[in-house]
Amino acid sequence: MSTHSYKKFEDSDSGALPDKMTVYQECLQAFNASPVQAKRCRLLLSRLLRLLYAGETFPRVEATNMFFSISKLFHHNDASLRQLVYLATKELCAISDDILMATASIMKDIQNGEIVYKPNAVRTLARVLDGTTIHAAERAMRNCVVDKNPNVSSAALVSSYHLLPVAKDVVKRWTNETQEAITSNKSFPDSQYSTHEHYGNNKLLSTTYTYQYHALGLLYQLRNHDKMALMKMIQQFDSQPLRSSLATVQLIRYVGQLIEEDGDLTQPLWRFFPVWLKNKSDMVELEAAKTILSLPKFTSDQQMQAIGTLQVLLSVPRTVTRFAAVRILNRIAMKNPQKIMVCNIELEGMINDSNRSVSTYAITTLLKTGNSENVDRLVKTISGFMDDISDEFKIIVIDAIRTLSLKFPEKHKSMLNFLNDVLRDEGGFVFKNAIIEAIFDISKFIPSSRELALEMLCEFIEDCEYTELAVRVLHLLGDEGPKTSNPTLYIRHIYNRVVLENSIVRSSAVIALSKFALIGDESITKSIKVLLERCLQDVDDEVRDRAALSLKLLSTKDIEQAKNFITPTFKYSLPILEQQLSLYVKSNDKSSFEYPFDIKTIPTMTEEEAKTAEFKEKTTVYDESSIHVDSSKKDKEEKLNESTKEAMLQQQYSHDFAAIPEIAAYGTLLHSSVAVELTEKETEFVVTAVKHIFENHVVIQYNIENTLTDIQLEDVSVVSLPEVDDYSEEFLMPIDVLKPQTKGSIYVSFTRPESIETSSFTNTLSYTSKDIDPSTGEPADEEEGFPDEYQIEDLSITPGDFIIPSFTGNFTLAWDDLDNEESAVFNLGDVPSGGLQEVVDRLIKTLSMMACESTDIVSASASHVLKLYGKSIHGEKIAAIIRLAASSKGIMMKNQVRSSDANLSELVANHIE
Amino acid sequence: MTFETSLYTIKSAIILDNEGKRLFAKYYKAPHSEVNDELLSSEKKQIAFESSLFKKTHKLNTDIILFENQIVVYREFADVIIYMTGDLNENETLLYNVLQGFIGALEIVLRNQLDKKSMQENYDLVVLAIDETVDDGIILETDPSVIASRVTKAPTEDVTNIKIDLSEKGFFNALNFAKKNISDRLQAL
Repeated sequence: MSTHSYKKFEDSDSGALPDKMTVYQECLQAFNASPVQAKRCRLLLSRLLRLLYAGETFPRVEATNMFFSISKLFHHNDASLRQLVYLATKELCAISDDILMATASIMKDIQNGEIVYKPNAVRTLARVLDGTTIHAAERAMRNCVVDKNPNVSSAALVSSYHLLPVAKDVVKRWTNETQEAITSNKSFPDSQYSTHEHYGNNKLLSTTYTYQYHALGLLYQLRNHDKMALMKMIQQFDSQPLRSSLATVQLIRYVGQLIEEDGDLTQPLWRFFPVWLKNKSDMVELEAAKTILSLPKFTSDQQMQAIGTLQVLLSVPRTVTRFAAVRILNRIAMKNPQKIMVCNIELEGMINDSNRSVSTYAITTLLKTGNSENVDRLVKTISGFMDDISDEFKIIVIDAIRTLSLKFPEKHKSMLNFLNDVLRDEGGFVFKNAIIEAIFDISKFIPSSRELALEMLCEFIEDCEYTELAVRVLHLLGDEGPKTSNPTLYIRHIYNRVVLENSIVRSSAVIALSKFALIGDESITKSIKVLLERCLQDVDDEVRDRAALSLKLLSTKDIEQAKNFITPTFKYSLPILEQQLSLYVKSNDKSSFEYPFDIKTIPTMTEEEAKTAEFKEKTTVYDESSIHVDSSKKDKEEKLNESTKEAMLQQQYSHDFAAIPEIAAYGTLLHSSVAVELTEKETEFVVTAVKHIFENHVVIQYNIENTLTDIQLEDVSVVSLPEVDDYSEEFLMPIDVLKPQTKGSIYVSFTRPESIETSSFTNTLSYTSKDIDPSTGEPADEEEGFPDEYQIEDLSITPGDFIIPSFTGNFTLAWDDLDNEESAVFNLGDVPSGGLQEVVDRLIKTLSMMACESTDIVSASASHVLKLYGKSIHGEKIAAIIRLAASSKGIMMKNQVRSSDANLSELVANHIE
Repeated sequence: MTFETSLYTIKSAIILDNEGKRLFAKYYKAPHSEVNDELLSSEKKQIAFESSLFKKTHKLNTDIILFENQIVVYREFADVIIYMTGDLNENETLLYNVLQGFIGALEIVLRNQLDKKSMQENYDLVVLAIDETVDDGIILETDPSVIASRVTKAPTEDVTNIKIDLSEKGFFNALNFAKKNISDRLQAL
């Protein structure tokens, strides 16, 4: 058998793998033979590697045997055999025991071996050694790092890098040598070891400076936590720029990392970027542009320089570079569409790019840059080539169109027409589904588009081959149809379905019909009843059941009760329901099944709240418009988590409070703020605070993290003094013991006045600190500790804590409906480095209101109008128009606030952080 | 956004034949750290990854795609496809440079014969070239000729003990030996 399969492998067209056992036997035999036959052994090793790289593996004993036999080959001095021996040793290290025994042979090669395989020896050494045995190799490694031969130096640097997780303190000892390697000039030895006839146009360079990349990478890890040392390292490249492109890319990342951690370094470090943006290598240019555009603190002028570089790269012949450039532009298109409009000509030229990913990115980027003036033209351009692209890419375009229409509600007509056209085209279910979703969203969030959209949907179901889509459309017609001016129109369309479709569609049509009966129009109700009675004769029992149920409900006296059943006004939060159900089902504790699942624990949302959440989710900037279907599913899940995280957190708070009887007595939690930082992130104790608003109380939750490793805190509490007398402290729940590197929460409760009052609280952290005995991890018994105080920042209760963001489809209408207008003008001082966008983001966050008409995106640098809408915890509506203007004198802000509650509008208008 | 400050750049290097079967596959993992990535530990996952990747790329020649949260750069030849993958935030051009360096080196050592047959026959050269390009995820070199120069050719034959040195130096040695012997003989006369 073995010879047979072995021969089969010899025929290299077959692609068959050599037989594992044969290779094993032959290897052992040949490697242990004397004298060693170099050519044959290299062939066998290559077969062995073929097996390993095809995914075959050996049991530990056999692998160790093999490892041992291979080490015999160190006796043969043929350089080409030795090189492959090292590769095989390296691969076997992971699956063999006793690998240390190879150390001596390897060390010998590192010291006196031929230059050909010396780098291989060094790299193999890193696999054989571990944290305890590295000391033996210290001297050799140091020498190799400073070796004049770039290959040897690189091999030593890379090996040191591999060893960092187990021996960082040892590797640290050659920091100076590493530093030296970055700046030194190394070149390949005159005779490179292997000559191949076929070099073609490739000239052998005297050096490639790649060792700079490795040295820089290692040095960064060694100095990782020392900002000053990193700055010093970066500064040395002022006078002596890096020669290797790889190293430069890496340096840009380190600079980016530094700037991300400390935004104030942005401008001091800017001086490097102009050179990088004009580098001869694409990858450096791309990395620099990407870094500038992903950090907030670069000025708009600097960002434009980066975009200018990308613009040039859009028209290079290299596909990958074009891809990278358009990908970066696509990412920023959502946030800063106006910035990349300069690239529109290039982007339009890329619509027909031979690489479909590139063309799709170009299209979606273009769509995102759309503004109210050019949207129509863009949509027209795109409909021109819709026929040429595959379903998969059409879906991406449809998604982009959907986002665009939510951004420009006034343009819904041309969008809907476009969607209607593509809806008529041939296409699979996923494609049609995407279109239907888009139409759904438009009709949901843009009230004025509703009738047009519903009309299109009616036409669509007349001739729809997908049951699932027909059912969804019918459901929407049932929900939205009764709200329109001419509901009878839809009744006809729906009843047609009852006559013509299969039973699933029929039953959902029945429910949709019954919703029309609740409008309150006698004649409609009467005719619906007639239609429903006909459905009682249906052949399918589900249809009959539903018709009977609807008729029964419609004939009850109490029409309100019927409404509760047929058109419920609230929805359950589905992600939380799903989570709770799966918790319930997966529970190991049998006794938990004694009680039925309690639906009341699931928070409900009114339709409006659901819309708010949905709108937020749909208009959020996605980092990566999923260009490939496979990962989009996963992405969506992640996004879902993101958007429900808030709801989950709220749920978590409620859950926690239920366990504290004192707080549970306060009733339901009305609103929780986001966590506010009361200390710097790097301090010994990191404190954040969350404000929880109850009917008559405010509970402040102080989250405290002890970041010290050797101090334990006991009896930790916060002395919190309100500025206003209206708040009075009720109780305080301290943390008894806060162990090193743990977190805990302190709750302080206040009664709050009936009306909404703002106040600030001065906070002092008080505690008793005890030193930890490192051997036990506990403080010594006799240790008494000493009491101490720690000043933390003030916390204010702001109007935003009483407001819940809320969605309105028509801001102007909502605004006109409200009165109690209050206005105020402020000078906010200098323009922050993030420009007006930073101010807007902050306002939305502190006021806890929802930005309407996509005014959360600042498009001009000098002025902006922000429109906000929300509801107070008591259900009072509030709307605000905030005008911002930036000038040399600072940012002027004019607030106009209207609310159904006069007190509220006054508070919000006059509130400034 | 997070910056990739690690040198571990290449997630995997894969060579498949024209039916999507593995010729070479190496999923890189830092040698001294624990990684919990299923793609690294489960061969089944890897095969599934490769076969769906193959379906997505075969005969498309688009050089780059985003696939299962990785960037994949690749080049297709007559009956093999060579892939390299990296993190989604990785610099695309950098990855492609690595791929090009490796392919360039293969062209040199395989004498421009980048096909399945020649790769299987010269498997030692292929794996050495890859080992000189990427070391467990860290890029070693991207210049094709430098990579190729590090790849040794197999010994030509197994002649035991008797070494005939045919280089110029060897010839001179032989000549000197002969000269010395002859002059010795002549002097002895």
